[in-house]
Amino acid sequence: MLTQQVEALCRPDDWAAQFIRGDRVNSEIYTSPAIFEREMQKIFYATWLYLAHESEIPKPGDFVSRTIGRQPVIIVRGDDGVCRAVMNRCRHRGALICEVDRGNQSHFRCFYHGWTYDNTGTLVHIPKDDAYPDDFDRESLGLTPLPQLDSYRGFIFGTVNPNAVPLRDHLGLAAAKFDYMIDASPTGELLLDAGTHKTSFRGNWKFVGMDGYHPPVVHQSAFEIFRRNAAKENPNVDSAVAQAPRKTMNDSPLAVSRDLLHGHAMLDVIPHRISERDFHLEATRHMPGGKEYIEAMYAAYGPERGGDLIAIGGDPHLGVWPNLQMINQHVRMVVPVAVDRTDVYLFPARLGGVTDEFNDIRLRKHEEFYGPAGFGQPDDTEIFERNTDGLQAVVNPWIDISRGRNREYVDRDGSIVGKIPDEVPQRAQMREWARQMSAS
Amino acid sequence: MPTETLDLQRAVEQFLFREARLMDTNDYKGWLELWADEGMYWIPCNADDADPHHNVAIVYENRGQIEDRVWRLSGLHAHAQRPKSRLTRVVSNVEVEAGADGTVVAHSAFVLCEIRKNEAHFWAGRNMHVLERDGDDFRIVLKKVMLTNNDTVMPNMTFIV
Repeated sequence: MLTQQVEALCRPDDWAAQFIRGDRVNSEIYTSPAIFEREMQKIFYATWLYLAHESEIPKPGDFVSRTIGRQPVIIVRGDDGVCRAVMNRCRHRGALICEVDRGNQSHFRCFYHGWTYDNTGTLVHIPKDDAYPDDFDRESLGLTPLPQLDSYRGFIFGTVNPNAVPLRDHLGLAAAKFDYMIDASPTGELLLDAGTHKTSFRGNWKFVGMDGYHPPVVHQSAFEIFRRNAAKENPNVDSAVAQAPRKTMNDSPLAVSRDLLHGHAMLDVIPHRISERDFHLEATRHMPGGKEYIEAMYAAYGPERGGDLIAIGGDPHLGVWPNLQMINQHVRMVVPVAVDRTDVYLFPARLGGVTDEFNDIRLRKHEEFYGPAGFGQPDDTEIFERNTDGLQAVVNPWIDISRGRNREYVDRDGSIVGKIPDEVPQRAQMREWARQMSAS
Repeated sequence: MPTETLDLQRAVEQFLFREARLMDTNDYKGWLELWADEGMYWIPCNADDADPHHNVAIVYENRGQIEDRVWRLSGLHAHAQRPKSRLTRVVSNVEVEAGADGTVVAHSAFVLCEIRKNEAHFWAGRNMHVLERDGDDFRIVLKKVMLTNNDTVMPNMTFIV
């Protein structure tokens, strides 16, 4: 353990200092419309946002419609095979040129006056175009490209800020953590092609964080179901392996919460899961398609790393500031709508190179816990709504995120480490929030 | 219509109305008793015909999982149903046809008002029930709920639909 001092959440002369005292935060940051407007400018129009995954738009003409803050944007693969992001706004009078979530089109036509663009963004048709002055430059009237677009292993990010640091610098320590999810596939392919759970709650977008403290309380009913079913399922599982005493995450020294800097954070249970590799392999072996999966993973990565990856289960439990999470079987996009309204899109990831039955189980496990009618996520959003209502009591507006401050430490890679139920990720989020909101 | 057909139509309608009442009153145990042992409960997501074997669903559950759902809702820690949704739904437009292996297929529509925490949510959709005969009664072999808004953002829908 290294013992370098962990820095304060913000500097005394920062703009954000008025809302942060030590490890206490003024709850106005979750309820003030003015602060939400500032977040649009200082965060959502300043830094890299997750926009889409390449597997959503594999073929020429495929597109998805998304938003950057409030700005509508289309991520489209052109007939030339190149992936682009263009603002969803006609260059003539500014109407949306695409009104659907996703699809495949050779052209985008604005149904106001009929200006038409091809799927590379080039303006190709103006009805009755004989009435323009000589200096009218139609070459320059293609769809406006997003100022920056880049991707990391299939995850497409963009920003309206032409001066944002390179994506790789923004991702920093978080980049390598993506691999745990991607490499759960023996072919290294995530397929976000199984549809989207679109959920919504009445509360602030910053409530959607990494929190290792809440599960035993919020998800008590789900855990009880898991326990009930553990006895019923897999009657063929080696009982000695299945029933060996297992440490809970909270007690395990191999499971930690980790501040990856730049606002990114994870519940890093990877060494813990690897330490229980035999258990996970045995459980996987008895899943439909499990034997084939293990064979494919061993063939792709070798038994050592393949076994580790199976134990990890494709779950980095990673939050990438400010709008991406990778949790269990799904990729999650956080969409702030208003200070007290947040949409959360969940994209279950199927794995390339595995059997259909194995992927089906991933889908079922996902929807059972995280879907809008599931056993887990709806309880989270219920608590977020109670948070929204509780924070209206501002006689004392301070909330406390100091848990574990006394035992956190700086790891060799510079990340800050605490125990799973510590508020390391909350402080990670708040530190980056303060930095970006205070930037000139 | 022949009397026999009208009798079947009426019997199916009464079954669907009973199911609606049990769901509206959060009578989970009573609702569970309507299901066949091999029953499947399916609420597609994104599109009415999204195949659950390649696509995520809102619900795609067998009898054991339906029992888990009911068990959870009956306890004290399903926070998203504390307080419970208060529900009133109208089931209508019932059409009945013969299904495979002596089953009866019922197509219906519903509109549903949900009140929870002083907020009203309006839900609507179409149902397809595959029913097997059980003496004078029926049991649900498959229930498919095609929500009108299954491709939009939605709040918690942990009540029984």
